[in-house]
Amino acid sequence: MSRYLILIILNTPIVIAGLLNALVDYKTKKYSRKKFIIQVVIWLIIFVSIALTKFIYDQLFSNHLTSTEPLSLFDVIEITGIILVLFMANRSRIKLETIEKRFNNLHQILSIRLSEDENRKTRK
Amino acid sequence: MKKVAIIIPAYNEEKTIGSVVTELQKTLKNQSFDFEIIVVDDGSKDKTYPIAIKSGSTVIKHIMNSGQGAATTTGLSYAAANNFDVAATLDADGQHDPNDILNGINIMLKNTGFDLLIGSRMLEIKDMPRSKVLGNQGLSFFTYLLFGVKTTDSQSGLRLFSKKAISELRWRATGYEFCSEMIWRAKQAKLSIDEFPIRTIYTDYSRAKGQNNWNAFNIIKSLMRSRIMELFGE
Repeated sequence: MSRYLILIILNTPIVIAGLLNALVDYKTKKYSRKKFIIQVVIWLIIFVSIALTKFIYDQLFSNHLTSTEPLSLFDVIEITGIILVLFMANRSRIKLETIEKRFNNLHQILSIRLSEDENRKTRK
Repeated sequence: MKKVAIIIPAYNEEKTIGSVVTELQKTLKNQSFDFEIIVVDDGSKDKTYPIAIKSGSTVIKHIMNSGQGAATTTGLSYAAANNFDVAATLDADGQHDPNDILNGINIMLKNTGFDLLIGSRMLEIKDMPRSKVLGNQGLSFFTYLLFGVKTTDSQSGLRLFSKKAISELRWRATGYEFCSEMIWRAKQAKLSIDEFPIRTIYTDYSRAKGQNNWNAFNIIKSLMRSRIMELFGE
């Protein structure tokens, strides 16, 4: 099996997961339409780049813009790993920011409630 | 009668908070609106809290220090929960003239249609140190570059909010960068923004407490990060 095909097979599920997550977040109103479109464009760029890897390499090589060896199996795994890490980092960042936002809101509400009690006591 | 909330975020401001609240009370009494002075003590380690209580203001004490941006959000949330018509924020170091605050409140109460009114120290520059002028102009320029909103003083602490802005305007930044982010979020929420001239009272204390120009780089870094990360979703 062609190494380029392996690259596509390994990375397509990650791209689909990325697109699905963006769609779910948009439908559940976590993303605005603009953010959703940007996410879709990013994942499509990644997919197109992976799908056209052989074409891009051939073009670069025939125009003497690169002299590197063609894709090895190790490169395939490495690229897949990088994309997977990107996917996971993006999800973790979103979760972390949601937690940070909730924590800030909790701190704010708690401070207001406790202070209201305190202010009432002081005024008495 | 319209209700106005005066929000003062304060962190370790025991030297000035009492006089800031007292001066405001003197200036705002007998006006055509009701007002409440709300000091948001951002987890001060000095006597800011007891002094603010003694001065007769409503005090909200943050359980832990969270930054000026977070303290301002807390004040606005309190104003939203208590149905205020207008809110004003100002610095606790005594650099703002209470008459400018009164002037801003009157502009807002005249139904001018502004949602966010920024008191600009740069429209009539007097006595401001040259380094501060440069720092403010630089940050206002970056605010324009990143968010496309033209202001002459993007870092001013004296701001006024309409009822709509009190309930709708929120930001993510907890530190000083919230000043620019607030303008950006106001633009996103399609709120109308304007400025009015204010004067600044510079004392040795307010000079020492104010932002260091080097901090501008941290602010720009944070704003750029927010702008880029916005693309990747919340």
